[in-house]
Amino acid sequence: MSAVPVMNDGASAKLRIWDGPTRIMHWLLVVFIAVCWWTGIHDQLQYHLYAGYAILWVVLLRLYWGFVGSSTARFAHFVRGPSHMIDYARTLHRRDSAQSHGHNPLGAISVLVMLGVVLAVVGLGLFAVDVDGLYSGPLSSYVSFKVGRHLAHLHYKWFEYLLGIIALHLAAVAFYYIYKRQNLVFPMISGSREVEGSVEEELRTVPLWRLIFGAAIVSAFVWAVADGFYF
Amino acid sequence: MSRIGSRRVRGAALVLFRMVAVGAMAGPAEVAQIKPRQDKLRDMGGALKAIDDELKKRTVDWDNVVLPNVQTLKDRSGYLLNWFPKGSGPESGVKTYALPAIWQKNDDFVKVGKAAQAETAKLAQVAASKDADALRAEALVTGKACKACHDNYRSPDYEKENED
Repeated sequence: MSAVPVMNDGASAKLRIWDGPTRIMHWLLVVFIAVCWWTGIHDQLQYHLYAGYAILWVVLLRLYWGFVGSSTARFAHFVRGPSHMIDYARTLHRRDSAQSHGHNPLGAISVLVMLGVVLAVVGLGLFAVDVDGLYSGPLSSYVSFKVGRHLAHLHYKWFEYLLGIIALHLAAVAFYYIYKRQNLVFPMISGSREVEGSVEEELRTVPLWRLIFGAAIVSAFVWAVADGFYF
Repeated sequence: MSRIGSRRVRGAALVLFRMVAVGAMAGPAEVAQIKPRQDKLRDMGGALKAIDDELKKRTVDWDNVVLPNVQTLKDRSGYLLNWFPKGSGPESGVKTYALPAIWQKNDDFVKVGKAAQAETAKLAQVAASKDADALRAEALVTGKACKACHDNYRSPDYEKENED
């Protein structure tokens, strides 16, 4: 598919930035991380497990979508070299800097770290052993009781790191809104933002069957994990 | 005396006071219970896990895995309530996640402890029948009996720094 430029004649127009799947996956991750946090603290571990499987599903699908999804969702679109990041960081203090089409070079780090740490927390949870032996991770039978208990503590510890990264992410969003007058939240809800009189690259979407195919593969994998690979 | 010197004296006095106070509350026999208690409870957790893991398999090894671990649970739980003498809580100064509620609400603690003993005895009975479905159900009930005690008499798991 080729890029479709949108020409504006000076008046403001809506520019599509995020496709539906990317937005839905983002907000599902928010909801399920909140559910995992609450159920973990309140010892509702059966629901904690379900929400953990949902997070695994979302993260794996997002990783898949990062390779075959629409233009702004792809890692190749926003993960650039260190020089891009340094150049962008130098303009961070400027209020009039141009808004990125999709993730900005520093946001790319946030996306990668967020996905990586979420995956680490979920991965540790899969092998974690519950002290009561009631709600251990589905893969805990592959490790000893003691190793599984250590992984459970690492699961808590890494969740604290994740909370720190989420706090940093929210602080960055607030910085862009307050200091740079750029609303990053609304486009993640509506999928588009207002642009004025400039040539921009429109979002390039991909056929829906790619999402359905990926969702089916990821669902089968998560089901197998939840079953502990005991077929 | 310099400010730093004064702080050191105060710090030493505090340490001495804690040692005397803890010594008054907890004897060496009570304190000596803590580590073996943790090891034995960990063995019980490991035994229940071994049973659960075995029950996930297509072919259950009753004689080498399930029955010995059920026996461990039954034997250990028989002594469960002897492992918590007064003075072996956090006031001992030794790292323990046993909550003071064990001794403050001791009647209830003994009640849930006895319930856990009863469930492990039932677990042994069910295991003897070598019925995997029945044992799965009873292992769940036994786990809930463990949880009933942990919920009220042990620090929340996520507050623990590690498993040591």
